[in-house]
Amino acid sequence: MDPFSAEGELINIHNAFHQGQYQAVIEFDTSALSPENQLPARVLQLRAKIALGQTDEVLADVEGEEETPDLAAVKALAQQSTGDVESALKLAQDLAENYPDNATVQVLCGTLLQAQGQSEDALALLTKHQGNLEAVALIVQIHLQQNRSDLALKEVQAAKRWAQDSLLVNLAESWVGMRLGGEKYQAAFYVYEELASAPSTSAPLSIVGQAVAELHLGRLPEAEAALTAALQQYPDEAELIANSVVLNVLAGKPSEELEQRLEQINPTHPLLCDLQAKSELFDTAAAKYAPRVSA
Amino acid sequence: MQSSPNMLTKFESKSSRAKGIAFHPKRPWILVSLHSSTIQLWDYRMGTLIDRFEEHDGPVRGIDFHPTQPLFVSGGDDYKIKVWNYQTRRCMFTLNGHLDYVRTVFFHHELPWILSCSDDQTIRIWNWQNRSLICTMTGHNHYVMCAQFHPTEDLIASASLDQSVRIWDISGLRKKHSAPTSMSFEDQMARANPAQADMFGNTDAVVKFVLEGHDRGVNWVSFHPTLPLIVSAGDDRLIKLWRMSDTKAWEVDTCRGHFQNASACLFHPHQDLILSVGEDKTIRCWDLNKRTSVQSFKRDLDRFWVIAAHPEINLFAAGHDTGVMVFKLERERPASAVYQNQLFYITKEKHVKSYDFAKNVETPPMLSLRKLGSPWVPPRTLSYNPAERAILVTSPTDSGVYELIHLPRDATGAVEPTDVKRGQGSSAVFVARNRFAVFSQGNQQVDIKDLSNSTTKSIKPPAGTTDIYFGGTGCLLFITPTNVVLFDIQQKKQLAELAVSGVKYVVWSNDGLYAALLSKHNVTIVTKSLEQVSSLHETIRIKSAAWDDAGVLLYSTLNHVKYSLLNGDNGIIRTLDQTVYLVKVKGRNVYCLDRNAKPRVLEIDPTEYRFKLALVKRNYDEMLQIIKTSSLVGQSIISYLQKKGYPEIALQFVQDPQTRFELALECGNLEVAIEMARELDRPKLWSRLGAEALAHGNHQTVEMAYQKQRNFDKLSFLYLSTGDQEKLSRMAKIAEHRGDFTSRFQNAIYRGDVEDRIQMFKEVDQYPLAYLTAKSHGLTEEAESILEACGLTEDQITLPSIEEPARVPHPIVPTFKSNWPVKAAGHSSFEKALLGEVGAGDEEAAAIEFEPEEEDEAITARDTLEDEEEDVAGWDMGDEINVEEDVDFVNVDSAEAGAGSTEADLWARNSPLAADHVAAGSFETAMQLLNRQVGAVNFAPLKPRFLEVYKASKTFLPATTGLPPLVNYVRRTVDETDSRKVLPIIPKDLETIANVDLQEGYAAMRANKLEDGVRIFRNILNSVLVNTVSSEAEVEQAKKIIETAREYILAMSIELERRSIPTDTPDNLKRSLELSAYFTIPKLEVAHRQLALMAAMKLAFANKNYSSALSFANRMLANGGSPKLLEQAKKIKLQCERSPQDKIDIEFDQFAEFDICAASFTPIYGGSPSVSDPFTGAKYHEQYKGTVCRISQVTEIGAPASGLRLFVPGQY
Repeated sequence: MDPFSAEGELINIHNAFHQGQYQAVIEFDTSALSPENQLPARVLQLRAKIALGQTDEVLADVEGEEETPDLAAVKALAQQSTGDVESALKLAQDLAENYPDNATVQVLCGTLLQAQGQSEDALALLTKHQGNLEAVALIVQIHLQQNRSDLALKEVQAAKRWAQDSLLVNLAESWVGMRLGGEKYQAAFYVYEELASAPSTSAPLSIVGQAVAELHLGRLPEAEAALTAALQQYPDEAELIANSVVLNVLAGKPSEELEQRLEQINPTHPLLCDLQAKSELFDTAAAKYAPRVSA
Repeated sequence: MQSSPNMLTKFESKSSRAKGIAFHPKRPWILVSLHSSTIQLWDYRMGTLIDRFEEHDGPVRGIDFHPTQPLFVSGGDDYKIKVWNYQTRRCMFTLNGHLDYVRTVFFHHELPWILSCSDDQTIRIWNWQNRSLICTMTGHNHYVMCAQFHPTEDLIASASLDQSVRIWDISGLRKKHSAPTSMSFEDQMARANPAQADMFGNTDAVVKFVLEGHDRGVNWVSFHPTLPLIVSAGDDRLIKLWRMSDTKAWEVDTCRGHFQNASACLFHPHQDLILSVGEDKTIRCWDLNKRTSVQSFKRDLDRFWVIAAHPEINLFAAGHDTGVMVFKLERERPASAVYQNQLFYITKEKHVKSYDFAKNVETPPMLSLRKLGSPWVPPRTLSYNPAERAILVTSPTDSGVYELIHLPRDATGAVEPTDVKRGQGSSAVFVARNRFAVFSQGNQQVDIKDLSNSTTKSIKPPAGTTDIYFGGTGCLLFITPTNVVLFDIQQKKQLAELAVSGVKYVVWSNDGLYAALLSKHNVTIVTKSLEQVSSLHETIRIKSAAWDDAGVLLYSTLNHVKYSLLNGDNGIIRTLDQTVYLVKVKGRNVYCLDRNAKPRVLEIDPTEYRFKLALVKRNYDEMLQIIKTSSLVGQSIISYLQKKGYPEIALQFVQDPQTRFELALECGNLEVAIEMARELDRPKLWSRLGAEALAHGNHQTVEMAYQKQRNFDKLSFLYLSTGDQEKLSRMAKIAEHRGDFTSRFQNAIYRGDVEDRIQMFKEVDQYPLAYLTAKSHGLTEEAESILEACGLTEDQITLPSIEEPARVPHPIVPTFKSNWPVKAAGHSSFEKALLGEVGAGDEEAAAIEFEPEEEDEAITARDTLEDEEEDVAGWDMGDEINVEEDVDFVNVDSAEAGAGSTEADLWARNSPLAADHVAAGSFETAMQLLNRQVGAVNFAPLKPRFLEVYKASKTFLPATTGLPPLVNYVRRTVDETDSRKVLPIIPKDLETIANVDLQEGYAAMRANKLEDGVRIFRNILNSVLVNTVSSEAEVEQAKKIIETAREYILAMSIELERRSIPTDTPDNLKRSLELSAYFTIPKLEVAHRQLALMAAMKLAFANKNYSSALSFANRMLANGGSPKLLEQAKKIKLQCERSPQDKIDIEFDQFAEFDICAASFTPIYGGSPSVSDPFTGAKYHEQYKGTVCRISQVTEIGAPASGLRLFVPGQY
């Protein structure tokens, strides 16, 4: 039986992880779990730690247990987070080759490969999954990042056939919905709103999702309310800040302060990198033009 | 007796003796009851036997259609009356009662009654609804041969061999059988005491009159349709006419002529004629008023037994010993001629009239041709000579006469023509302004005559000529039964001859280049030199034709208007409820004459033939026009296009995937074919697609098709031939999975993989083969291990001698990497036109042109990426193959990964607006657009706006941890999901600019923060420049905002300039005063203008420029507003008026209209040369042309520009 399914022991820790409640994952009491679920739970906790930036801890934790492919994959991921991309990538490729059927390897190495821009390899690894929703979600995300919303949609629809109510499928569907737009915006909004409004599941992740959906729906005041409230609660959440920047620009409000904050927290955020690139592009492009008579 | 030239036989059947005939009132059907007991139902128009009804024993004599229901009744020598339904094709019931042969049966025109008469000497009335006998009329004392209802009154006429005709009154019967509604006491009394009763006390039907006059038995009797007349035919060979009043009836006259028993007779339904038939094998036609024979028709061998008239149209049918004939008495084609916008024609009354096509009016009669020919023969042809305003009319009377008549100037009424030239001749046509040709069929001669009717020339036409027609200027067409000959009158020379049989009419096209030769069932189109262009055949008789101005022939058959293009393509335009004769086609109107010689206008839809004509002429613009303006999309057009070899055009029309697939295959458009095949997803289609793609050399499509069909063998072979080793090995794996050893073996051979082959042989226990393979490939170890496994030694085996094993050659060129250069599915010029049509603006067009290329690239990119791992996942599905996986399997392969384009790219494609390009991050194109639209050259000030718009374009949605957030694109088209229509959101819409930014700018003005003000208004300009709006109204609003911003920037700049100048020198003071005056010029809000005026006034006053100060004060007072300001203005005005002089002369004409140059801040008076900025519209002296606008700081003064675009209709 799938340990993550509704009846499974790991449902709670699994959902918490995917809702972005990493602290809750780390604090989860795993002692009562059956032996075969111990490892997946541990992997989840380690991943939560990586997400929170506690990579050294993680590396120390898995030290010497690289024989277990799951833990090796965690190690690779942690290595990447510390910036040791090369060895991380090598480890991931080894794992992908040797344990292509291990679900953890699939997901973690898939993530890693994708993060390093090797989408094809990532997809190749992930498509070997046997009913692993995490892999499905990852595939969806990769497709979306490649702007292939058609493929992403197919993937989600296929997954919905066998995992209708799963949190991950719902999330993945929302991701796709946010791309497709139209009525799908509203549907995506409902998913995030449900998550964000319940205190037990509320996390920056879901609030950002809700706010972004509202932004796309053109409901700026609501988006602003959600983001402002969330920013007070999680002042250092990069995505909250990034989307607040977008919102402020749309609402005609100054965004410089937020941009500076974002730069402090995450100087490599796509928003900033992109803006930097575009600014340079602007200068090059503008240089091609000049008045016939300079004043 | 000679048969009449006028009687026109339309249909003849061959059968046994026809005893009864009935016309269907609406359809072209007749029922014929035969002596052989059969009843036939014929379509006389098509000449086909529709049905046969055979239930009577022995001859069937009486037959009749029900006027409205699908019923008919028959009566036979088996004493039976049968009622039939011709739809269900069976006898509904039989009425029994007569005791001898039933002679005639008829339905009542409104009551559910059947009237029958019999040799049992009775006449009976039956109710066919309750199937009962309701009345038996006795009185005749011999066979009753015929009994008929009166068409309107409650009367019956009967004829009997007792030599009498009886008229019966059946009003009593009607009363008895009508519903008993409100019967008064008197009625009841009348019923109780019938006035008259016959000897049996029968009051239902009583004899009203007994007509005696025939010397022998009477065979037939008929009522006149409207007059109180009766006609009867008897064995005394006479036709007798009787008249009756309310009280009596008497014999009027007798028509003598039949020389054998007269079998039947009737009145002509519309004309004053009597028709009769007899055993003397003749049909005779009598003048009702003069009782003289008008014409007669004789059959050689067959005695006539019965005659019937169609109730509405001019048709008759007569039954004789060997069948029936359907005929009409005269031609119904009105003689007519068309000249330009006028139609000349001869009416039924033999009046000449004209009709104006343009005005759609008929003139009153111009002439009466009553004396032409004989009274019952209508004129045959009419030829018009516009130069002389003369007509040439022919009549077939006396083997042909013609008359040449000059038309009166005005149509004053049906006057008898005065100056008539006439002569003998069967045809006569004008051939030149002052010549006409007369053809005499009898002596086979054509005379060319002048207008005084004297012969100038005689021509001997080809033998057997039947008719002549105009043949183009100076020429004649001779019509013979088998040929048409073109003859030059001047040279007396035959120019051309064409074998066309049975031509009856010739219709020339309006430009005189083509002629249509009409025969009974054929239309032949010829050129003016008699070369055949095309020919078509109709099963139904062709009646007439007329040419469209575009060179399309429209022709009418008995029941259709059809068209024919020059190339012979034809089709139906509309159906006709009655036969008409086309005379002219103009646009959507077809003008024609009906059989009553009334001009009629038929509306037609010319779309179809125009479309086809355009297609033939390759006039794609017109086709496009037609496609756009009409709903032409029909199966017929599609199949036409397909048939004509334009599948690619048909493709444009079709929605149905199946048809689209077929068409796409036909025109080699594999892309569409693939698309449709995917949609339909049927193995058959895939296999056809595969075959087609193979022919194209498009092996990637072939591969897909084979995969779809799971056609492993072919797939393997394809990989072999394209040299795709990798996939071949995958095929081997699949074969292994499938446990298909043959396939595995084959793949192994293809791959040259000996080990696998050996392995496989071992698996299927073919150890000898395995051994042999191993041995022959020199794999000794393997061979030995096999031997060992089998427990054999080498010397126990005798091997055949083997040569060096053949190696599988490998393709040298890695074909599989990409397709052969595939023939591009060529867009026809039509398609191009269609595509070109889509893009409205030039930018759009460019974008569209750009798009397909990029897609192509994407496709090739996708194709080349195809071979990687992904594929394996698709294939390595394991042993169980179910449908669901199949779906995935398709997706994986067909829509193989590779990045698509982002939504931002779509935005740039979807929109020609600069702002949308900015949002898409396509700054280069945005700049190009702005440069083209408003001459933007200095983009630096726009940078914040660009980045602002770009920043607002996407959001960041965190998804899987560890990966960058998902980027989503914010749209202003929130409800749109069509990727071709999505557009980005642009921050700061016009409303915000007007309500927030503009107010900020005003506030700065009020607060005297002019530097801030200039900055704010410049920002406004930038925001408007990179923006979009949602309506035309908003475009106007945007223009206003630009103007406002311009004026404020100008005003503020002037004032800032003034403040920067010290007033220490007289020059500077003068300049300062001027600038303060100019400050009042820009069109600011009134309140702000007052501020400017105030400042100017004060400065002028302080410097003793009282005249200027006075003018400022006056303007302030005129503007009104805050009392405090006005108070000051009044004060100064008072003081200035004392000495209205300027101390310092400044360059400011308070009375002149002028603009301020925004660079030099000096006036530009009307008429003096200036340039303006293409964006803001600010004015400059000419020397500033080419520099950057001082107002916007972005655009180039005087640059060529198409104007700012903020709005695309239909985009929002």
